[in-house]
Formats: sequence, C-alpha cells, structure tokens
Amino acid sequence: MKYSKIRNLFSALIMLCCLFFANNVHAMHISEGILPFNWAALWFVLAIPFVGYGLYRLKKLSSLDPSFKPLVGLMAAVVFIISCMPIPVPTAGTCSHPCGTGISGILVGPAISILVAAIALLIQALFLAHGGLSTWGADILSMGVMGSFAGFLTFKTLRSMKINIAVSGFMAGLLADWATYFTTSVVLASGIRGDSPFLPLFWKILVAFIPTQVPLGILEGAMTAGMVVLLYKKRPDLLVKMKVLKPEEVTV
Amino acid sequence: MQLFSEYFKKSNLLSRVDARIKLIVSLILLIMVLSYRGIVFPLLILCLGIILCIRMKIPLRVLFLRFSEPLVVASVVLILKFLTGGKDTLFSIEIAGIRLAGHTDGLMEGLMIAARILGAVSIIALLGFSTPFTEFMAGLSWFRIPKGFIEILMFAYRYIFVLLEDAMVIYNAQKNRLGYSSVRRGLNSFGVLTGSLILKAFEQSQNTTVAMAQRGYDGNMPILKHKPFKRSELLFSTLFVTTMGFLWRI
Repeated sequence: MKYSKIRNLFSALIMLCCLFFANNVHAMHISEGILPFNWAALWFVLAIPFVGYGLYRLKKLSSLDPSFKPLVGLMAAVVFIISCMPIPVPTAGTCSHPCGTGISGILVGPAISILVAAIALLIQALFLAHGGLSTWGADILSMGVMGSFAGFLTFKTLRSMKINIAVSGFMAGLLADWATYFTTSVVLASGIRGDSPFLPLFWKILVAFIPTQVPLGILEGAMTAGMVVLLYKKRPDLLVKMKVLKPEEVTV
Repeated sequence: MQLFSEYFKKSNLLSRVDARIKLIVSLILLIMVLSYRGIVFPLLILCLGIILCIRMKIPLRVLFLRFSEPLVVASVVLILKFLTGGKDTLFSIEIAGIRLAGHTDGLMEGLMIAARILGAVSIIALLGFSTPFTEFMAGLSWFRIPKGFIEILMFAYRYIFVLLEDAMVIYNAQKNRLGYSSVRRGLNSFGVLTGSLILKAFEQSQNTTVAMAQRGYDGNMPILKHKPFKRSELLFSTLFVTTMGFLWRI
C-alpha cells in the first residue's frame, strides 16, 4: 500500500518536472524505437490493409472527381497542423495532442481519413522526428483507424438519432480522441512490458493519460463541433457533397 | 516550421547520396537497432548519427530540439522501469516510512529501451536532415509505394506551409480581438480557426485542380526519374551495412 503510494508520488513528481522542462518540446505519438521489432512489425502488418483500402477508395473517388486528390492532400495538411500541438505525458513515455482524425473521419469518411492520418504521420516522422518510422504502423492504427472510425461512427449514430449537429460533432471529436489514446495505451503496454504482466502496465499508462487526455478530449470535441457548425453555417453545400448531411437536413 | 529537417539539407556528403540507398541503409539499421538485445549497438548508432549531423553543420539548437523529446521519453521509461519493473532488488530505502526500491533487471530493461529509442531517432533524424523531400518521394516510388499515396503526400507537404501561414494570420487576428481571453471564447476561437482551415482546404483544392488542369494535369503527378545507382555508393553502403551487421552480431 505504502509502496504503491510512493510510486504514484514519484510518477507525479517526474511528470511535473518533465512538464516544466519539456514544455517547448514538439513531441507526439509513440516515440521512435520504443517498440521492439516484433511488436512494431505486427502493428505495421495490421495497419497495411486499412491503408490499402483507403487507397482503393481514393482511386475510386478521384476517378469521379478530379479535385478529390488535392482535397485529401489538403485534409492531410490540416490534420498535420492540428496534431502538431503537443502536451507531453512523460509517465506514459509519450505525448498527447489533438488528433484531427475525428473531423477528417466525419468529412471524408473513415477509409480516406486513415490515409490522411498515415500521410500526416509519415511527414511528421521523417521531417520533424515526431512519432517514427518503426512506430508508424502503431500510430496509424491508434490515430488513423481508431480515431477515424470512432469519430465517423459516433457522428453518424448521433445524427441518425436526430441529435443536434454541434453535439454530434462534439461527441465525435471527444470519442475519436479517447479511442486513439486507449489504443495507444494498449500498444505501449504490449510493447514495453517485457516480462511483466500486460494489464497492470496498461492501466498505469491509461491513468497517466487522464490528466491531459480528459481536457484534450474536450478541446478536440469543442474544436470538431466548431468546425462542423462553421461548415454548416458557411458552406452547407460542402457537407452535402461530402455526404455528411442529407440535402433535406440543410436549411438555407 | 523552420525546424523542418529539410531546411538543413545543405550541400554535404550525405545529401549527395542517392535517396534510395539512404532509405535502404536506414531501414536496415533501424531493424538492427530494434531487434538488438542490449545497449551497445544502439548507442554506437546514436554517436555515429550525432557526429554525422554535426559534420553536416546542423545547428546545435535544432539537433537538441530534435533529440529532446526522445531524451525525455527515454529517461522516463528508464526511471519507471528501474523503480516499478523487475524482481531483482538493487537497493531499498525508506523515506518517511515508505519503502522505495530499485531493481537491477528493471534498470537493464529500461536502459535497453532508452538506448533503442535514441539510436532509432538518430537514424531517422539523419535521414530527414540529409534527404530533400522530392528525392525522398522519388525513392518511395522506387520501392513500389502506390502512386496515389505519393501524390497525396506531395499535395500535403506543399500545402502545410500555405495553411500554416493562414492559420497564423487567423490566430493573430483572433488574439488581437481578445478571442482567447477566456476558456469559453478560446474554445470558440479555436473551433473557428480550425473550421476556417478546413474551408480553406476545400476552396484551395478546387482552385488547385483548376490551375493544374490548365497546366495539363491528367490526374497523375510527375515524380523525379530514377538515375542508375552509382557503383561507389553501392559498394560503400554494402561495406557499411556489413560492418554494422558484424558489430550487431557481437
């Protein structure tokens, strides 16, 4: 009991120190090299079919609309910018940030959104040393796959229940963010546990994310709600074109 | 964004090397570092990476920034593994009646992960500092990465800078109008900022398509053509990888 107390105290102290010393560090995602080769390879293999499906959808949609490829590229740039706002979580050995995949999942669909995330992550890994090449697959799964699907499914479900667009957007952003960090905790715990049991480490990492991820999830929810509301007010035609809303849902 | 690695690719020994060779060597070294069960080899790679970066005249401030996040992460993983992982107790002290113990096996495992992080980051940092984006794209296409993926990558890279500039203009305008004076207003302003970026992205994609169609865009972007490999580069890289492989085996 006492031992676990000092451990928690120590973790909190480390976290506090790191927040002071690392507040200008532009860091994010699962750090390069943190996963051993077998785990890095496994996540990579699991991510490939999702990226492949995204590319298939891209080919199909861009043959119908030539502006689709530039649009996806621009969405990747937006996701890149959004996910470059880091908050370090040293106790978990990684950093937190808004993901942006919730909104891209809503706007371009989960398949293309995974592609968007994969591209943003690759540029960050190569030219900013955020995330990494070896952890690219794991990052695609947590941020791209889980974030996009959570955002898309939440928005669609809530809209089908006739929930207000702002609330649907907020919940989509919130759950996309939390789904991403849930998966990140799974990936990290499985990768660095060594011979220790998985579950205790997983809970430790998950708990370590709470101080940043609860407010960040709310921030991402507010951001996503702000985006969909702005688009709804200024360019509802775009939301109809992207099949986010049905034509009858848009009041002019 | 001046911290983008590509900004520092001055003319130097590594920037002239074929991007495909750099990619292959980096991937092989990365696999070696990740699969190594120890600390010597990753630390050797780290030293080599730092020396090469300094030789390439990468500003020390940038180098420090690039390594600061992995250093923080590596240190924390090391401390946590030392204090919370393992069974073989190295020391045990009591502070205010509470026992604090360090473990030898936890320390070794922490050191291994920390060394792996730093070694792997040095490889990727070196690759980023020495490879221009266009050459990197050409290298990827040689690896048979689908063309659609490379095209989107090129669009994204091009527009990151455009959108960042727009974001800064909007942010400054909001800040000057007290858009971030309270949490509620801040959240609202942040939502408007990111929403405006999405709107810009939509509009820009239409304009870009029109402009590119006028210049003969048929849905496919041209990518740098591959030159044949230089024998000297192939020979040197093979020798280098073999030496590293030998050191990895020790």
